[in-house]
Amino acid sequence: MSITLDQVTKRYQGVPVVNDVSLDVREGEFFVLLGPSGSGKSTLLRAIAGLTGIDHGRISLHGRDVTNVGARRRGVGLVFQNYALFRHMTVADNIEFALRVRRVRAHERRQRRKELLRLVALEGLDSRLPTQLSGGQQQRIAVARALAHKPEVLLLDEPFGALDAKIREELRRTIRQVQRELKITTVLVTHDQQEAFALADRIGVMNLGRLLETAEPDELYARPVTRFVATFLGAANLLLARQTAEGISFGAELVDARGVEKVDSGREHEVVAVLRPEEAEIAPTPEALASPFIARGTVDEIAFTGAYERIRIRLNDDTAAHLIGPDGSADSGLLEASRTQHEQRSFSVARGQQVAIGMRRVHVLPTPLSSFTVCAATSDEAAQLSRHPFLVDLAARMKTRVALRVESALAGTGSGATPSGGDSSGVAVLAAGPDVIAQIEWLFHRGAAEALVLPAPPTTPKRVVIHWLERTARRGTLAVSASLLRHVPAEAVFFGILPKDTSGDARSVGMRTLLDARSEAQAVHGLEMRTELRFGDIAQELAAQLGESRDQMLILGISDITSLRERFSALLTAAPGWPLLVVYRPRDDARRE
Amino acid sequence: MSRFRQPSVLPGFGLTFGFAMFYLSAIVLIPLIALVLKTGTMPWSQFLDVVLHPRSVASYRLSFGTSLLAAGINAVFGFIIAWTLVRYEFPGRKIIDALIDMPFALPTAVSGIALTAVFAQNGWIGRYLEPLGIQVAYTWIGITVALTLIGLPFVVRSLQPALQEVQSDLEDAAETLGAGKFYIFRRIILPTVTPALLTGFALAFARGVGEYGSVIFISGNLPMKTEITPLLIVIRLEEFDYLAAAALGFVMLVISFLMLLGINLLQAWGRRWMVAGNR
Repeated sequence: MSITLDQVTKRYQGVPVVNDVSLDVREGEFFVLLGPSGSGKSTLLRAIAGLTGIDHGRISLHGRDVTNVGARRRGVGLVFQNYALFRHMTVADNIEFALRVRRVRAHERRQRRKELLRLVALEGLDSRLPTQLSGGQQQRIAVARALAHKPEVLLLDEPFGALDAKIREELRRTIRQVQRELKITTVLVTHDQQEAFALADRIGVMNLGRLLETAEPDELYARPVTRFVATFLGAANLLLARQTAEGISFGAELVDARGVEKVDSGREHEVVAVLRPEEAEIAPTPEALASPFIARGTVDEIAFTGAYERIRIRLNDDTAAHLIGPDGSADSGLLEASRTQHEQRSFSVARGQQVAIGMRRVHVLPTPLSSFTVCAATSDEAAQLSRHPFLVDLAARMKTRVALRVESALAGTGSGATPSGGDSSGVAVLAAGPDVIAQIEWLFHRGAAEALVLPAPPTTPKRVVIHWLERTARRGTLAVSASLLRHVPAEAVFFGILPKDTSGDARSVGMRTLLDARSEAQAVHGLEMRTELRFGDIAQELAAQLGESRDQMLILGISDITSLRERFSALLTAAPGWPLLVVYRPRDDARRE
Repeated sequence: MSRFRQPSVLPGFGLTFGFAMFYLSAIVLIPLIALVLKTGTMPWSQFLDVVLHPRSVASYRLSFGTSLLAAGINAVFGFIIAWTLVRYEFPGRKIIDALIDMPFALPTAVSGIALTAVFAQNGWIGRYLEPLGIQVAYTWIGITVALTLIGLPFVVRSLQPALQEVQSDLEDAAETLGAGKFYIFRRIILPTVTPALLTGFALAFARGVGEYGSVIFISGNLPMKTEITPLLIVIRLEEFDYLAAAALGFVMLVISFLMLLGINLLQAWGRRWMVAGNR
């Protein structure tokens, strides 16, 4: 491995900007770190270069641990967005800078300089000053300068950011060529997905300090795991659907399972489906579609973009409810489709026209958190809870929907009320209070699988404490935790808690369980978390951890509904100041998974 | 005329150029020409008598010597102050930044009197320097202190934008290329800000040469010892010896012009040297 990052964390004022990032970049690989601004990608790059210290974790380059080695001695080449050329020096002096520092002899310096100028196709500009060069030329010089001392790793921080489109493309090609020729391990940081696709052998997508997914470009585009990656890499329509054994359904329409990847869960549940605009088919009638029909709609907007035509279609009311708008709201009801010239010729559409929509290929996200349903006894309470800042934030980041559900049965203790028969979809959201255990029990008995309890004061958790009571809830809890933590800039810590009088053997078993949990989180769910082993009473230990500092959150996995009341009534009825997410995975369910 | 023309957002090159010339003439050139003409009415031998008089020569030495020294001190400490203000974030930074301009606004007589009070033998600072055998007030040291105070804002204000421009990216780049801290300072930071530093130095020096108000209070004005040229000019005026005053003024003008020219040439030469010398 050329670059190895192990649980690298960097905090600014307590907030992790790089959050438990582990990554292996292979020898000679062109790796692109992609993410929106503020996702921590540049900080991570600076940490690799040694310009920023890290608070936790290890960094090694070619097997050499460089965590505590300064930038001077890391042997990396770094290229900046604004070139950072030394303006009082000529091109030649800029390129030779690293060699001069290393006291390389003059004729060797000259030779290396000629070599590098040829490499970036700028021979003969040796005696120019940087200000006499165009932006594209300056950036080439910066690349040549970064390569002068034959670094083991080349790091590029948004190198094309300051250039216009045409030069950008040209320089992109140059850099790719240079990289291939030298076979140098390269990490490039960008927020531009086109750039990432054009350059990368592999892409790592970052958001909120976390490395969400790492894969080859085509894989990442076709089969994203998270909704962030699905929407960040190109346009995507996100649809809430129900997955059943036969396929997936949007409202009344059951779409047959062809083209849908298998998701490993026998239980019927809500899922998030990704429909790329180019996979949406448009025809005058459902019968004329070559692919499974999903909905009817009215053409709302047509935009010509050259090779493609982009169409926005307003879905008919019943299906529109299943479409998640780009900002997480459900009200837009607009589905985006794109068509090639060829498709446009065979069926041309006009604004206001009724069309039938089919899906050629749909990808179901393997995320257990699909949407939120705020549950309260009155509509006022529900509306108020739905405006809770943490929930609003989370829903916006997850690009999902918050529905309201009013259940009079939730008033009082809830016991003895008759089920109203409404199906449970997504995470149930409840307000903290003395009846919350009864409410959770009531919801879990009626099909809900996750319950989020929000405290009255607004919080932004910086640390998420994870624990499960029964081993059978482990997998589900990890999946939910991973899904949630992709959208919360917080650190994750799993607490294994054993009774105080645990024997030595049992302790080592406990330790192993802990490590297994960590590697499962990492391997299966892509979640980096820390683990700690404690001894004592579970509820007391968790209470102590959560009482340690403000801005925490608890994720609790259970397989037995009654255990909540038995063990945690003291902890939960006292109106905790932190959000709680209860994940319920019954035993038989777990066995099927 | 047309080859002067440059595209510009300001309308009417003719108008603006004319105004600039008029303004410069009325404010700067005409008074200076009057000075030269007035001096020109003097017989050559009388002129030499006045300007080469030992008392005059001593005053030149004092005026230009202390001004150079003060500008030099400001170049070093002004650099440190500007660096601190640009590079660090600390409580009270804005206030200190505003304080830098105080010498601009303060009537020079006030700063002169204040400095004298502080540095006099029984003053706050003077009383501790006295036992060490250092006398500040009424010596050339006092003049230097006054000129340092007056010149500080020029250096700091010239340097600040230049230092801001040395992006920390440049230092980061140099560091990843293997350069140490001192090497970065010497080869990256210093060359980049040298022009601004020289400008600040020249401005502080020029201001020092022309300073009158604060110096006369702290210098003691002993002929041959602590008498600066501007004061000598005033003395000659009070004696209604306008010609001698004009002659002394002319000499100051010539020396100042030559020194500023020298600094500018040094700057231009330095730029070329930096480019060529690194080859």
